[in-house]
Amino acid sequence: MARSIWNGTITFGLMRVPIKVHSATEDKGVHFHEVHVKDGAQIEHRRICSKDGKAVPYNQVAKGYEVKKGEYVLLDQEEIDAAAGRQSREIELEEFVAAGEIDPVHYNRGYYLGAGNDGADAYRLLHDAMARAERVGLGRWVFHNREYLVAVRPLDDVLALHTMRFADELIDADSLDLPSPSRKPGEREVKIAGALVDSLSAPFAPGKFKDSFRERVLHLIQAKARGEEPELPDAPEPAGDTDLMAALEASLQGS
Amino acid sequence: MPRSLWTGSLSFGLVNVPVRLETAVRDRDLHFRQIHRKDGAPIEVQRWCSEEDVEVDYDEITHGYELDNGDQVTVSDLELQAIEPRRTRTIEIEQFVELAEVDPMYFDHPYWLAPASDDDGAVRAYRLLTEVMAKTERAALGRFVMRAKEYLALVRERDGALTLTTMLFADETRPTKDIDAATQKSHKPARKQVDAAVAVIEALSEDWDPERHKDRYRDRLRKVVAQKRKGETITVPDEDKAPKPAPDLMAALERTLEELQASSSR
Repeated sequence: MARSIWNGTITFGLMRVPIKVHSATEDKGVHFHEVHVKDGAQIEHRRICSKDGKAVPYNQVAKGYEVKKGEYVLLDQEEIDAAAGRQSREIELEEFVAAGEIDPVHYNRGYYLGAGNDGADAYRLLHDAMARAERVGLGRWVFHNREYLVAVRPLDDVLALHTMRFADELIDADSLDLPSPSRKPGEREVKIAGALVDSLSAPFAPGKFKDSFRERVLHLIQAKARGEEPELPDAPEPAGDTDLMAALEASLQGS
Repeated sequence: MPRSLWTGSLSFGLVNVPVRLETAVRDRDLHFRQIHRKDGAPIEVQRWCSEEDVEVDYDEITHGYELDNGDQVTVSDLELQAIEPRRTRTIEIEQFVELAEVDPMYFDHPYWLAPASDDDGAVRAYRLLTEVMAKTERAALGRFVMRAKEYLALVRERDGALTLTTMLFADETRPTKDIDAATQKSHKPARKQVDAAVAVIEALSEDWDPERHKDRYRDRLRKVVAQKRKGETITVPDEDKAPKPAPDLMAALERTLEELQASSSR
């Protein structure tokens, strides 16, 4: 059985659903460490005092928040942790919303929920009821000394939990200051582009997309370990098509 | 204008749209600096060579990878860029999907895509793609390479612009089969129970309004800083006791419904 990272209770109304939180994602990236080009030695990050230029041992490090230029308020970790509020073991679902209403930009990190001790019946009931109502529950979760807005929803047979981005963390499209074209795309262009979208449409199959880069990085490392020097090809310039209509028509014929 | 994180082109059939990538997320967190307790001076983190005991400039640093036998292979940025030169500059749309089919578990970081050039042809191609995706209610899937990592990306229309969300690859999400989801038949709820639970959910239902939810943690952390500045003592709140599960699901559901009805008719 997968190990849990947090145990607690989901509540909605007077219902109590004991749950366990599990990670749903894992990092598969190739990780490097920093190395000095000259001698291949590892790079160390050293904490140096900006006043006396000497290395600072960890027990001499405080956390400071800059309230005015150059003026810091020093805080201990416990004082920062106090901002998490009460260390609650409860996630209260305060409201439910239609799943389709939430724009995907709000979803941050995902977790799976498993049934907690003596909670199997309540877990199943919450899952089945949310699935039937097609709703997502919203609540607050205190995890690692921080409070998160979370969404709880049915995902196949399990319940999933997502930390959510707050509205004021998202940047509006207005800030992009998009330029306007001299004339709007023509009816024929929209029609042909629409046909191209249709011809390239397929059901979402996540397994179809593989991280080929990760594999190639590992191949490169192995080749270099055998003493082979990789070739550095010139990157081809992407061909720019200025005649939109001609490019669209050619694309549609080719698809 | 914020600095773009990546520039290249979005290609769609034979149409290339020059685009730049900008983050769609603003960091609102309070950031702390490391301070030397003794003299109150900020601490700088410097990179030092572990062999020579000297500070090393950033451009003298490369990537090291340790093999299973303990040997080290170094790989440069140029070598990493040469792995997939095309995808370092192009997001090639491979297919279109219905947005609702993509499970939120795959979403990672949201960005905006804007035209990278004021050239009229480029701006028109950008507009065309935005308009067509809005009209067909489809999202595009493609891959690209940014900062020596390949991303699966979902591009769609949002508020009249193109938004790109990096996505997890399928093998970066864990299988759900190891999760205890109480799927045994004995835990299947009775119809009456589901009806009552759905009624509770409906009674607690609202329209999604992201503005209504505020980051209380950030506000409290600001208060903690203000208190500390005035020299006040910060008290750490107690931990809640773990609540007991309700023994009778149906009774709890019925009492909840009664309470919700009483409060709505008040």
